[in-house]
Amino acid sequence: MDAFLLGASEVLSLTTLAMMLAGAIAGIIAAAIPGFTVTMAIVLTLPLTFTMDALQGISVMLSVYVGGYTGGLISAALLGIPGTPSSVATTFDAFPMARKGEPGRALSLGVWASFFGTIISTIVLIIAAPPLAIFAVRLGPWEYFSLIVFALTIVASLVGNSLQRGLIAALIGLAISTVGADPIMGRPRFDMGWELLAAGLPFLVVLIGIFAISQLASEVEDADAIKRGEKLVDGEIEFKTWAVMREVLMRPVNLIRSSMVGVAIGALPGAGGSIANLVAYDQAKRASKTPEEFGKGTPDGVVASEAGNSATAGGGLIPLISLGIPGSAVDAILMASLMVHGISVGPRLIMDNADLVYGMFLAMAVSSLMMLVVCVLSMRAFLRVAEVPKWVVVPVVLVCCVVGSFALNNRVTDLYLLAAVGLLGYALKALDYPLAPLVLGVILGPIAETNLRRALMTEPDWSLFLTRPVSLVFLVAAVLSVAWAIRGILKSRNEARSGKEPI
Amino acid sequence: MSQIDSRSTQQESGEIARLLSYIALLAVSLGLFLEARAMPRSRFEVLGAGAFPMLVHGCLSLLLVASIIASIRKIPVGAYGVFASAIVTWAREKRLVLFLFLCLAIYVMSMPVIGYPIATLLFLLALQITLAPKTRTAIATAVVLSLIFSYGLNWLFAEVFNVFLPRGR
Repeated sequence: MDAFLLGASEVLSLTTLAMMLAGAIAGIIAAAIPGFTVTMAIVLTLPLTFTMDALQGISVMLSVYVGGYTGGLISAALLGIPGTPSSVATTFDAFPMARKGEPGRALSLGVWASFFGTIISTIVLIIAAPPLAIFAVRLGPWEYFSLIVFALTIVASLVGNSLQRGLIAALIGLAISTVGADPIMGRPRFDMGWELLAAGLPFLVVLIGIFAISQLASEVEDADAIKRGEKLVDGEIEFKTWAVMREVLMRPVNLIRSSMVGVAIGALPGAGGSIANLVAYDQAKRASKTPEEFGKGTPDGVVASEAGNSATAGGGLIPLISLGIPGSAVDAILMASLMVHGISVGPRLIMDNADLVYGMFLAMAVSSLMMLVVCVLSMRAFLRVAEVPKWVVVPVVLVCCVVGSFALNNRVTDLYLLAAVGLLGYALKALDYPLAPLVLGVILGPIAETNLRRALMTEPDWSLFLTRPVSLVFLVAAVLSVAWAIRGILKSRNEARSGKEPI
Repeated sequence: MSQIDSRSTQQESGEIARLLSYIALLAVSLGLFLEARAMPRSRFEVLGAGAFPMLVHGCLSLLLVASIIASIRKIPVGAYGVFASAIVTWAREKRLVLFLFLCLAIYVMSMPVIGYPIATLLFLLALQITLAPKTRTAIATAVVLSLIFSYGLNWLFAEVFNVFLPRGR
């Protein structure tokens, strides 16, 4: 109790709260700009925390982290461009909702879902950190590969108009992920002798190119509308804070399920928000009584994606606090920040620095509250973005994408890739290929290949994928998931056929 | 009636474009499959560097062959005759998109040579003035925004974040 009060007194001090507020605002703004990620915002914050106390520094970084997970929602809902990889699924329903004239509701749903997602993940973090962490680190490459096979079955939910083109897009994504040095031996692959391809295709550049550039290009398709000064989104700018809060709370099953998916995926080292939002969306769609509404602006889609990605913030802290293993790049930076202050991160962290750990739990909850307050107070200003004419938004956001892609690795060649991938993305979109499976393929490809090869290097026995219980559970889940998707497709085909008969 | 005809011509042209995309992707995929097959195996592991790409490109090629067959069966013979004119119409309708990609290509290619501020200023001016309604307010807004996002952003990154955008030769 003493340790909790000690931690609380530091987190709730006026200076720390003021700094956390600044951090939350910075995180929201950074993630709202396409091309700038939560990781970049945290890296830029790290040097500023060196002069602070350990708990104060980590609290500020957690506020940037939590703010960043929500900020990605802004460009996802208003521009149709995921501000961060963790808001890819948010674009599926928040953007159509905004286009239908409800941009305020789309943002408000996302903000509340993020808030509740973070709170639920913090509660799980406090209760279940040690057992979950031990489970997560016991998973070997067999279980990871089977998990990725299961995650790949999400493609069935993201295929859009054609299952065939959805699968092709997913395989193109996997193929893109194989360009560059091979993940086990470092052997160059498919680089054609170009320096440009030798390092592989950076995931974020592909994401920005595929989603942002192609979306921006689509916005200028109607030359007459652009010349008339058409806005990005026409509609109600009202945020409807309390009504939407009730709307989110009326979906408790979706909210809790998506948050738990986020926590579980966040706790797995190497996974993270970029996968969690897609898995949570997929699960919500499968469980829904009206799956056909997904992708057209249903609130359930926004709630699932945002609760899922925000919950990974708490989930990622589970292996970090319990075992000293960072689950993602952001967690590694948080760990580095603790080490700068002379705190050794590992299983003894909670015993030796209980006040710090309790302080971190509290900082997570306070950060999410701050994010909520900042969003509620400032969202009207963000919503003004929707009122800016397209001829302003498109060129300016293009420049932000270019700057963001360059700042990732300080490489000019990434800009050439960005333009090329953007053109490819637009061509695929024009030809009616769904883009989300492609991005999923790029995310999951390296994890699948690494774990498949690592598993067979450890023990060249394929049967282990079926004899290890957790691996088998994931594989069975994958088979059931495919069967469920096929059933859904056949059902909708039969319905379409029977609907046509009277005509 | 003519509207229905034009929609079906559009759909058929779209299907031909997709067929061409399947063929192009198949050519690339088969080429990469063969390259992956030629990759040497390591003595330290069962699967070499080429195994996973072979699996991916093998599945992709099969799927593309199936798509090509389905597409050919779907397209009526007469549709190929109007494809060229449909492409010209499409390009005319999407002229601003093509202009945007042209500007983007010139912008990223010129950035290492003339530097971020000048390249961005020219890019924003060219694109905004082309897209904007031709009013004095719009042009003035375009000029101000171009200056802010070129020289202003360059200053912000260099002075505040210590990230230096390309300076040019």
